[in-house]
Amino acid sequence: MIRNLRELYQYRALLWSLTLRELKARYRASVLGFLWTFLNPTLQMGVYSLIFGLIIQQEIPHYPFFIFVGMLPWIFFSSSVMAGASAISDRRDLLTKVRFPAQVLPATVVASNLANYLLSLPLMIALGLASGVVPTWHAVIFLPIVVLQTLFTLSVAYVLSALNVAFRDLQHIVGNLVMLGFFGTPILWSIGRISSEGTRTALIYGNPMAAMTVSYQQIFYYHRLPDWEPLGTVALLSVAMLWVASFIFEQRREEFAELV
Amino acid sequence: MNAIVLTSIGKRFKKQTVRRDQTTLKSEIVRWLKRRKDPLKQQPSIHIEALKGVDLTIPKGKTVGIIGRNGSGKSTLLKIITGIYTPTSGTLEVHGRISALLDLGAGFHPDFSGRENIMINGIILGMSRAEVRARVDDIVAFSELGEFIDEPVRTYSSGMYMRLAFAVATHVDPEILIIDEILAVGDEHFGKKSMAKMTEFKKAGKTIVLVTHDLNTVQKWCDLAAWIDGGKTRLVGEPAYVVDQYRQAVAVAEAQAEKTGVSALSSMGGALPDLPAAPKPTSGPDVSPNHRTGDFRLELERVRLLDGDGKESSVVDTEGPLEVRIDFVAKEPLSDLVFAVDIKRADGLHVYGTNTAAEAVALPLPVEGKGTVRLCIDRVGLTSGGYQLDVTARTAGGVTYDSHRGLYPLTVQSKVNDVGIMRPPHRWVVETESEGRSEKRAPRHLAPARVG
Repeated sequence: MIRNLRELYQYRALLWSLTLRELKARYRASVLGFLWTFLNPTLQMGVYSLIFGLIIQQEIPHYPFFIFVGMLPWIFFSSSVMAGASAISDRRDLLTKVRFPAQVLPATVVASNLANYLLSLPLMIALGLASGVVPTWHAVIFLPIVVLQTLFTLSVAYVLSALNVAFRDLQHIVGNLVMLGFFGTPILWSIGRISSEGTRTALIYGNPMAAMTVSYQQIFYYHRLPDWEPLGTVALLSVAMLWVASFIFEQRREEFAELV
Repeated sequence: MNAIVLTSIGKRFKKQTVRRDQTTLKSEIVRWLKRRKDPLKQQPSIHIEALKGVDLTIPKGKTVGIIGRNGSGKSTLLKIITGIYTPTSGTLEVHGRISALLDLGAGFHPDFSGRENIMINGIILGMSRAEVRARVDDIVAFSELGEFIDEPVRTYSSGMYMRLAFAVATHVDPEILIIDEILAVGDEHFGKKSMAKMTEFKKAGKTIVLVTHDLNTVQKWCDLAAWIDGGKTRLVGEPAYVVDQYRQAVAVAEAQAEKTGVSALSSMGGALPDLPAAPKPTSGPDVSPNHRTGDFRLELERVRLLDGDGKESSVVDTEGPLEVRIDFVAKEPLSDLVFAVDIKRADGLHVYGTNTAAEAVALPLPVEGKGTVRLCIDRVGLTSGGYQLDVTARTAGGVTYDSHRGLYPLTVQSKVNDVGIMRPPHRWVVETESEGRSEKRAPRHLAPARVG
């Protein structure tokens, strides 16, 4: 794992350039350009708050802001994972022509989505202010939480990208799992809605993204410190997964150039 | 000092299709279940052996051409040298930073301008951001794209695209340069520029490994040629010899294909057939085929370099005469015969070449039995340094009777510290207004002599 990350550091120039390119390329040749970073989640949020706020009456105050707090990190996670799955298998042009550590590719996907997430944060704050929610000092906790989520996302992207080279079915499976994950994570609904204590605990510990989302909501929406136990568990899990992912990556990287 | 040492490199690929099944999750599970049910049942072979033991040592600073037919494993070999593939067996040693030009424009994004793509492509090829930034202007200048450099790459013509890509690729500063068949880029003008850039690399003492089907390039340009055939090293040696052997093998394969009706490509598992045992000369120098080849219907028995006094000498003065005396014996009457002498500088530069056909020398045809040819040079006219003479007897069509390469070293001495390759007969004239005219003729021994 250390070697994996060190190589990533060695090739940071490549990582940086590819990420920058990814960000620039995403909205190039579109009229609104960079505004789409804000428009996309806003439109999604609009759709969801319309359906779940007005039609399926949710009893959550400042509901649009609530959705936003949970949805932005989810977009970060889900886009990274979906694009990460095909990050290596789609880059035959690079892998078979130039020698460089392949983990740069999934890392690029994660990094560019992280950048997108961070860039859309001001919009979230603005929306909160507009609906009367002023951020408090708890927002400082955001930093460790987002680092944690990045590690977790990176490890998932590693595993998927490595396996997808040999089993292309994975990228389709992932798309559907992400859909399931979206509704299985308390983004549109509050975790408090689950009445059974046991189910709640199971969800928090069984779905790392649930623990992350709840933590984001705690610092931004409820203005309190997050529960440390679930976060600690995710931290341990992330490190363990990153270790396993690096291992799988290490095992398979020699095949990449031949199989893509 | 060697730049690259390959020892019995083997490379096996897993077949992507087994019984026309694509490898998917489903097919893997089905295969696994079948194997469990009936472990003794023969599984179809799932491997392709692309390389079956390649041995190759590439000395530092040499230019090596790798030749061989399609599918012989050349590109796989390059990918192993660059580290894109790992060998299944054997060992690989590489000393020095490698830059591989396996494909031009790796990572080019069509929506980005040429300038933006230079940055990303340069970094992909192994430069740091600072290095790329320092070289951007050179790269833009070399590519000759002018104001197009700030247009998106998708608007480029294919020639412009290739030029930009080639410009970036050659501005990486590697110790070892790996090139796969991309020298023919752009129009004639740019092609020349590319060659000049490559020559610059060569002069700077970089190791170059080149895969190409352009055999003339290999002959002209490489210090060493390696012929890869059927996944093995078939022959390594002097380019002229290796290329000659390769051409002969291809000719034999084509002739066989014509007879049997089987495609030359499919037979022998991709390898070219063996050549009939080369005839051995009965006289003349006993050296390896690297230095002497031919069918020896006529043999060059003895080649002597004689100075002005008629003494055998490999050291001559640049103003002095030189005689190349060739004793030959023709074993059968030959009516198609050309003698050729080539002078090469120590670094391989072809300084001069002439032959009896080009100068319409009347030979007493048909030639049979012993004889002597003399090439009398009245004035050597080369700058001082090391040279060598190659002597060949052949048909007008190029079938070699006997060719001696690199066997006759020649040292040229000069009393004047002039530079370059040749010294034309000359004199200096200096004029000033005050003193009128003063003419300095070259000293007596430098007096212009008639040439040719």
